[in-house]
Amino acid sequence: MLKIENVELYYDHVYALKKVSLHLEEGETVALIGANGAGKSSILRSITGLSKIKHGSISFQGQEIHHRRPADIVKSGIIMVPEGRRVFPYMSVRDNLLMGAFSRTDKAEIRQSLEQVLTRFPILKERYGQSAGTLSGGEQQMMVIGRALMAKPKLLLLDEPSLGIAPKLVADIARAIVQINKEEKVSVLLVEQNSRMALRISHRAYALTTGAVAIHGKSSDLLEDERVQAAYLGGEL
Amino acid sequence: MEQILVNGAYLGAQYALIALGLTLIFALMNVLNFAHGQMYVLGGFVTYTIYGQLGMPYALALLVTAVSLAVVGAVVERFLFRPVIRRSQRDESTMLLAAGLGFFLDAVILLLFGEKQRGVPKLIDGVFNWDFRVIMPHDRILIGCLAVGCIVLFILFMHFSKTGRALRALAQDRDAAQLMGVDVDRYSMTGFALGAMLAGIVGGLLVTITGVNLGMGGPTSTKAFMMVMIGGAGVIPGAIVGGVILGFMESILLSALASYGDVTYLLIFVSLMIFLAIRPNGLMGKPWG
Ligand SMILES: Nc1ncnc2c1ncn2[C@@H]1O[C@H](COP(=O)(O)OP(=O)(O)O)[C@@H](O)[C@H]1O
Ligand SMILES: [Mg+2]
Repeated sequence: MLKIENVELYYDHVYALKKVSLHLEEGETVALIGANGAGKSSILRSITGLSKIKHGSISFQGQEIHHRRPADIVKSGIIMVPEGRRVFPYMSVRDNLLMGAFSRTDKAEIRQSLEQVLTRFPILKERYGQSAGTLSGGEQQMMVIGRALMAKPKLLLLDEPSLGIAPKLVADIARAIVQINKEEKVSVLLVEQNSRMALRISHRAYALTTGAVAIHGKSSDLLEDERVQAAYLGGEL
Repeated sequence: MEQILVNGAYLGAQYALIALGLTLIFALMNVLNFAHGQMYVLGGFVTYTIYGQLGMPYALALLVTAVSLAVVGAVVERFLFRPVIRRSQRDESTMLLAAGLGFFLDAVILLLFGEKQRGVPKLIDGVFNWDFRVIMPHDRILIGCLAVGCIVLFILFMHFSKTGRALRALAQDRDAAQLMGVDVDRYSMTGFALGAMLAGIVGGLLVTITGVNLGMGGPTSTKAFMMVMIGGAGVIPGAIVGGVILGFMESILLSALASYGDVTYLLIFVSLMIFLAIRPNGLMGKPWG
């Protein structure tokens, strides 16, 4: 469904990605783990068109998308929840959610999606008219996942959804990701520094070091892999 | 006293509308549009031509003014600001561009409309007189109400339309808005067009009261900046509050200081400087940058 081949990306002549290749099949949850600065966000930014790649290709459902503009990539069914949540702070929860449906025109179905999101994250119903900036970190994270679901995506890109979230809520969010993948048939590419959580809820995983894929395989295998345990799971419980 | 308040409200409504256009462009593109006053003057001259010269209905003239200034704004964004923003790394480039655009528009206005003060026939006759406490010509009341109506429409548009929502999202988080599928180029152009249109509409409103001349552009830009600085740059309520405050200050100080000559703006500038030293982000502004 998603195929990244030999992608290279530079920021001001400093490379962030060198010859990265990975793929994701329909229905899968794939995790992307690695230390800070490994290039995880850069991969997501390349897929969404926010960063333009220098070499290689990215294709989605058989069509090359790496030369398309971000707005067109969203239309093709890829939506991203950026690192650090990035809510629209002075807009209400309602307006934030509606922004998720920006590229859709089917009014009645948008309302239906809104109902679904509010059912999945009931806390958003309580905060419905509140400015998003006043929500707690966990509530904001649920809101931006809900905002992404409002786009009715085929592929959901999540950039560190557990970052800065209370441990109890991390479990909630992990559960929500699994449910979204299963019930709504949305494929998920999950970037996480919380490698253990990511490996537990994903089917396959890629471990990144300094802009290149170091190890990849089934998540359950990686959880047992000694190299992975030493480099990515050390210290965490 | 009542008279001063009514004058202040009338002036404040016009000012707020000008400031809204400026703050919209700033919030969306981080561009300080130094040519905002010239767009206001251009709007005045378009209305002057259609209503004053050609004798067409005023409503039509105002509509044509709004549309032409929106087109000017769109063209300016597409062919001047967009390429400069894309290629330059510094905010100063767009400031210089905006200042240059101001001079350019001054020259265009001079060429097309000349340097004379122009007025148009009164919209309606008659004067509202409440016991000699408040005296207000009917046409001023009409223009004041139209300005308030435009402000209300603008706010409703920004809050309840899909385009308005996208513009707000773009102003609050450019990347996140793009990730939701907002086409930055298209909506920057829309926002710039809307901002220029607001300036033009005020020109079209005020030409019926105070007339219009080439020299008004620069001072109007300056005033618009002051309002935006008072209220806080990039926020809608800030622009409205700033506009109303400046309107009231002007009307109160003008009558209070009438016997001291032309010191009103001197005093306003000094108090603004002191105010900004204490509150550099204005009343409700976000930090810059
Ligand atoms: N906007 C940028 N400008 C310059 N360098 C950047 C930028 N964004 C990321 N980088 C660099 O690219 C590398 C990869 O960053 P990133 O993809 O954000 O990593 P991760 O998400 O895994 O922490 C890092 O070395 C980082 O410093
Ligand atoms: Mg990152």
